[in-house]
Amino acid sequence: MSFKNYKEKIDEGDTVILYLSNNLHAIEVRPEIKNKKGDMVENVYQTTFGALKVRNLIGSEYGSRVELSKGWGHVLQPTPELWSLTLPHRTQIIYTPDISMILLQLDLVPGSIVVEAGTGSGSLTHALIRRVRPHGHVYTFDFHDHRAKVAQEEFEEHGLAEFVTAQHRDVLAEGFGADLNGKADAVFLDLPKPWAGVTHAVNAIKDDGGRFCSFSPCIEQVQRTCSTLAQNGFQDISTMEVLQSELKVSRRTIPVRDLSFLKHKGSENPVEEKPSSDKSYVVGAWPASTPGHTGYLTLATLPPSFVRRKTKSANSENSNENTNVEDKSNSEEAMAVDENNL
Amino acid sequence: MGDNTIKVGEYIVIQKQNYKKLHKLNKPNSSVTVGKDSLNLNGIVGCKFYSTFKMISRSSKRSKEYDLELTEEAANLIDEIGLKVSGTDNRNIYDDGRSQKLSATEISDLKSDSTKASDIVETLITNSKTFHNKTEFSQEKYLKKKEKKYFEFIQILRPNLRIITETLYKLDPSKVQGIRIDTLSQIITLSNISSEGNHLLYDSGSNGLLAAALLSAMGSEAKGKLIHMHPGNMSQKQALLAMNFDSEHLNKCLSVNVYSALRQVYQGCDTHTQEAVLENESNLKRKAADNIEHESKIPKLDDSQVVDSEVKEVNMDDSQSIKKKPKWHFDNIAAAEVLTNKVDSLVIASKEDPQNIFLELVQFVKPGRPFVIYYSVAEPLQNLYMTLKSSSNVAALKLTCNWMRNYQILHERTHPEVMMNGSSGFLLTGYVLK
Repeated sequence: MSFKNYKEKIDEGDTVILYLSNNLHAIEVRPEIKNKKGDMVENVYQTTFGALKVRNLIGSEYGSRVELSKGWGHVLQPTPELWSLTLPHRTQIIYTPDISMILLQLDLVPGSIVVEAGTGSGSLTHALIRRVRPHGHVYTFDFHDHRAKVAQEEFEEHGLAEFVTAQHRDVLAEGFGADLNGKADAVFLDLPKPWAGVTHAVNAIKDDGGRFCSFSPCIEQVQRTCSTLAQNGFQDISTMEVLQSELKVSRRTIPVRDLSFLKHKGSENPVEEKPSSDKSYVVGAWPASTPGHTGYLTLATLPPSFVRRKTKSANSENSNENTNVEDKSNSEEAMAVDENNL
Repeated sequence: MGDNTIKVGEYIVIQKQNYKKLHKLNKPNSSVTVGKDSLNLNGIVGCKFYSTFKMISRSSKRSKEYDLELTEEAANLIDEIGLKVSGTDNRNIYDDGRSQKLSATEISDLKSDSTKASDIVETLITNSKTFHNKTEFSQEKYLKKKEKKYFEFIQILRPNLRIITETLYKLDPSKVQGIRIDTLSQIITLSNISSEGNHLLYDSGSNGLLAAALLSAMGSEAKGKLIHMHPGNMSQKQALLAMNFDSEHLNKCLSVNVYSALRQVYQGCDTHTQEAVLENESNLKRKAADNIEHESKIPKLDDSQVVDSEVKEVNMDDSQSIKKKPKWHFDNIAAAEVLTNKVDSLVIASKEDPQNIFLELVQFVKPGRPFVIYYSVAEPLQNLYMTLKSSSNVAALKLTCNWMRNYQILHERTHPEVMMNGSSGFLLTGYVLK
């Protein structure tokens, strides 16, 4: 239940983050767990610094030091950011740099109603819940029945069930359901064919308008999504990519080589000289390997219904692939055909 | 939130194509400069947000002063003109300065005589020798460029954090300490701001952007307070006010001078007299305001018609009970109380070296809670990183920076934007340990 409110002390049933010199582990605080035979045994968590008797965590303060058999660590209360780094992966997940941008770009504030598809491992969902609580709500969908079920159970265990509804549903085929028509302030899609979800998003968004975001790893998905958004009356359509790099900070002492003495005749005439002194710097080294691509974020505003344009007639931006520029007489006709295909 | 109409006294966003401007609508018929044009905003009050207005020139000639007229939707130059004939490539197009048959004077006459952008552009195209040989894509690009120049529609939007961040940054990044939108978004998440808890912000000058961001994420139902510490005499509030928070929401933010608030914490109640001596110069303004208030309030007290807030004040401060204290005095006391009970996050965006500020303010953060420190360059944060690493009372210390790229998504012309912003600033983040 440690996801809901700020807590001072660890209770049984909490999920805690164990921090061990730059490694993070999520641990569910249960004094006993079932072993392979189904018997209840003492819950001992093994780490690189030795064993942790999970029972001992109960009652200790968040942020405090815990003793391990071969060292020590610290326990933190999970935040959506720490959870993203430690959660059990059931799918690829979205990480904090993208999550942060999604929250800001969707104009989410406490009280907002937001629709998410798919739920995946619930990385973004936890951050959405935190942002829209206490009087907002997250509706999250996954077309994988087991994932949807596990997610709902997880939200219940985390004490977040009142802020989120996780459902098993293929939203591209079925939409978000009549219950959500005109209810959402924002819609987020992380689906293989996001363009197919655009009309469902239009149905779900409030008459007062709202924001749309789609996360797609491939540019072809983005192109189709953008042209579908334009046809469905969205404005301010933009696409961006956000990446984060971590700098490794350290103190480096580097040798200084003096060459100026060579200007003058001296007794010595070495060809190989040891560096004459050294100098100390605090440096931030850029990683040799860093995430280079996660996904493109495509963002758009659906204006209120009174200014919403109906499906726009074909314009040159989404003219079709077959349009041959040389074949000018055909180009207009081809565009019309294209419109029907889409 | 419920009302979607444009109201006097609130901030609005004026959008003209990709250009956005924040404007406080002080009176119904105020004027605002958008680029080179001056717009009279008469008639927009009462219209719904997202309404589009056509810019109508004041005189028959195309002057720079415009009135606004509500319209259904902005005309699209490409749709209006329509592309008919186009070429394959640019092999037959020479830049000899002779492709336009109209002379410069003829064009400027055309501009002042025509009232419709599409008329101007259509005449330009008809008199161009090369336009019809250009490729379809090139023609579109030309029209987009002309549309930008002659665009005659604006849209009024409601300000929110996204638009304010974008607008202030575009105007002048140095006014918001160079805090880019991606970095700002991470400051909000990494500090775990939500409707829960009390939060501490030290901001030495982002025009209120950080306070606006954190207060927006705390929401109108937040139970706690945001303590917004600043080193100056007055807090910067532009972005905070532009959010159009209602007063109850806005009052969750206690903007306090860092010296006064910390003195209140460490040296206890009423340090007002000492303060006046110590901060003689910086306090001149405050004292003046203070005096005026005294005079107007004293008679009230004599009539013993004491209102609630004054009762509170009397209880808090017996020695000077007759005097009415300004709001900042009570904000200091309230902030000191929150600080004494400790806060759930710490955000620092300083122009000063963050080290001393962090080491002082971290003492008010509960164990296990996150902190985020922003600086526009890495070095001060690198030094702080080394200090914190050796003191071992923080966990998961991380120095990060961001990379953000925008894309042009057009059919067969998709590529990254030609220019990108390479200055994200740096974040030092971690969790406070016991």
